[in-house]
Amino acid sequence: MLTEVKKQLKVSLLSVKYGFMREALNKASLFSSIFFMIINNSCMIVQWIVLFSLKDNFGGYSFKEVLLLWGLAASTYGVSRFFFRKSFNLSQTIVSGALDNYIVQPKSVLLSAIISECEPSALGDIIFGYIMYFMYGFKIHTFILFTLFTITGGLMIVAVAVILGSLSFWLTNSDQIADVGNSLVTNFATYPDGIFKGVARMMLYTIIPVGITNFIPARAIISFNPTLLLINIGATILFILTAFAIFYRGLRRYSSSNLMNARV
Amino acid sequence: MRKYLFIFKTQIISNLQYVGNVLIGFIGNFVMLFILFNLWKYLYSDPSELINGYNMFQMTWYVIITELLWMSLGGRKLVGKISEDVITGNVAYNINKPYSYVGYVLATHLGDIFIKSIVLSILFMITGLVFLGGFPSLTLVNVLVIILTMILATVISTLFASSIGLLAFFFENSRSFWWLYSKFILILGTIFPIEFFPGVLQKILSFSPVFVSSYGPAKLFVDFSWSTAWEILLAQLIYLAISYGICEFIYRKGVRKINVNGG
Repeated sequence: MLTEVKKQLKVSLLSVKYGFMREALNKASLFSSIFFMIINNSCMIVQWIVLFSLKDNFGGYSFKEVLLLWGLAASTYGVSRFFFRKSFNLSQTIVSGALDNYIVQPKSVLLSAIISECEPSALGDIIFGYIMYFMYGFKIHTFILFTLFTITGGLMIVAVAVILGSLSFWLTNSDQIADVGNSLVTNFATYPDGIFKGVARMMLYTIIPVGITNFIPARAIISFNPTLLLINIGATILFILTAFAIFYRGLRRYSSSNLMNARV
Repeated sequence: MRKYLFIFKTQIISNLQYVGNVLIGFIGNFVMLFILFNLWKYLYSDPSELINGYNMFQMTWYVIITELLWMSLGGRKLVGKISEDVITGNVAYNINKPYSYVGYVLATHLGDIFIKSIVLSILFMITGLVFLGGFPSLTLVNVLVIILTMILATVISTLFASSIGLLAFFFENSRSFWWLYSKFILILGTIFPIEFFPGVLQKILSFSPVFVSSYGPAKLFVDFSWSTAWEILLAQLIYLAISYGICEFIYRKGVRKINVNGG
């Protein structure tokens, strides 16, 4: 089984590598999109400078801690979009019948379908995330935690996208629901959870798992607590397993759409 | 003018079938409003407290109007469509047509977003009512003037978005310019009114697109005065001419670079 996992991992990494090489054919376009993404994200710092000029503390977060939150939001988003761009188009892949291309491949259908393309500008998000982290303050152990949470958060965002995208096996026109669901995770991720109360706050730790991808990691980095780390890792594994289970359950209902095309 | 009105009408009719999509898309808009509402509620310890001249009621309505203008615009889609047309060469089909390309893009896009804007306006007003329990006190004439400034703001923003899309004639990745422009408008005009920035920046912003495409209509909605209304309308007319000029200039300059091979 371990050999099988190793082989799958190798194929997946090769797929990402070739996807990136395709995107990197035009170097000027690649570097400009990364650069502009960093500038684009940096603009939001202005928003927080203005807000912190009005109040010292937002939902228990200082300015530096908000930067950390922003960093986590950007880097998790970056990982999800760079490595698994197609997971956010899974609905269209299913509805258009493009899943046929991956079913005939001898490896995991889901992984093949979601890692076949990469988003180069998302590298800008990852770099921006780390810049924010360094502005928060570098320490070896927090750097390791930040990297770990970037990976788990990215994987959880992908798992949510797969779960929402897989709805297309049962529902027609569910791509809009998937888009809205995916944007919820991104929108909530950059605001401190302390400004939300009651049901809204509860939702951030359950239905919209931004609490687990961002708020818990931020708290664990600010003041290390092994329980928070375990919750994050446990929840990530749970979400990934759920995503796989739902996708493969739905795949049984999949019946192509006579789509004729060539993958180059 | 008649042909553009016809294009506008045709687009409205073809978009009527997508009302359901607008309603689902509104969930995302509602969440954004909900986040900003919570943010301001957290910031205002007392709803009657004034921050830079705005109480919580005014501040929340300001954000609702600016978000409405921004979310109805569909700027990212427009930039993507135009730059795709330029990159794939589809723009060449418009060269020999008996209309101005800029006029065609404007009529098509305004037709595309007409139904969406009306549906979103109703939903945003209901959201504001639910959040705040009332509207600012405005007369019918005030409301008509605000609607006029909102229409002009949308036309100006459409022209700026089209200009950015047309930059694809010169830069392969014109979407990056849209990211920057959209952040400029969002940070400096949507989330905060101009009054929240330092004095020098306020002066610069009052001459920038932020004033005509975002701040102006929202300011009138929360604090209407005829002197501000005339100032905003005049600025919008000037910006309308400027944005149309820029768009036409980029198109004419760019279209000379087209090489058509075969057919």
